Amino acid sequence: MRRVILNTIALAGLSSFIVGCAVNETATVTVNDDGTTQIIESNSGLLSDSLSIVDTKTAFVGNLLKAQASIKNDSGSQLNFQYKFKWLDKNGFEVAIDGRPWQPLSITPHESKTVQGVAPNPTVNSFKILVQD
Amino acid sequence: MKLIQLFAVVLMGLMLASCSGKKIQYGDATAVETTTLGFGSTDLQSIAAKLVDDLVTFPPIVQMTSTRRPVVFVDKIKNKTTEHIDTESITDTVQTKLLQSGKFRFVDMTAVKAVQEQLKFQMDSGMVDPSKAAAFGKQTGAEFMLYGNMSSIVKRNSDAQDVYYKFTLKLVNLESGIMEWAGEKEIRKTGEKSFMSL
Repeated sequence: MRRVILNTIALAGLSSFIVGCAVNETATVTVNDDGTTQIIESNSGLLSDSLSIVDTKTAFVGNLLKAQASIKNDSGSQLNFQYKFKWLDKNGFEVAIDGRPWQPLSITPHESKTVQGVAPNPTVNSFKILVQD
Repeated sequence: MKLIQLFAVVLMGLMLASCSGKKIQYGDATAVETTTLGFGSTDLQSIAAKLVDDLVTFPPIVQMTSTRRPVVFVDKIKNKTTEHIDTESITDTVQTKLLQSGKFRFVDMTAVKAVQEQLKFQMDSGMVDPSKAAAFGKQTGAEFMLYGNMSSIVKRNSDAQDVYYKFTLKLVNLESGIMEWAGEKEIRKTGEKSFMSL
């Protein structure tokens, strides 16, 4: 019995050490070449289960990549969260790290909102959208 | 058994240390900041991002910057709000982003005096090889000027306060006087009375 308690404490301590006191959850949405999207990482399923990327568009304005994404609230309650674009070059290196701020966004139940961003320079050819609550 | 106990104690210690609430910690500079209703870092970053996106994607500007990098100088932004806002910080960010986009070049009017002193030193001090000194009268003049205004409307009642900011940036052709582009960014923030602090 005592061993079980100690093991439980060890497990709780380990998991607390790993996540610290963080309460933010972040999902990264990758837009593939064929236009499909995919959430590739999430600390929690709550936000990523409630949100979906229903449409993405990319175009080059001059030689700068312009990205648009429609974010849909699939839940029955209003969602207040933040989003941010992350720009990548052809080798997968992030361009202009911290170049864009987290932007607050509010979406009513079952509605979608469109967000847009323009790449910081011509080396960018792909992007990700990060969301956090 | 003792190993498990030791492991548990060490991990509990780490857990407590990680949650002990340090007084000083680093944060994300791009995080949404809502400490007060006043102008903050999120507002500055949002304004810069929106206006730079608008400028570099405006069709005539896209056409103009496709073959060359026009030279621009940044004038001061008029602060018409009731707050003390460092508008130069906003234009610094806009200028940096535009420069890094590879679409524009800038002349820095804030460094004119220092440049003059350096050129005078190179020409007159006798310490610099004349063949390697930067010559007077060779600088490139700006073709365009970036300038603008920042205004705000503050409304309050007994329960809440509403702050509306509008930042306008304009690009004018110095030779023709024609305004080639203008962009605006609006921001609205509301807060309850108990959290008001401008």
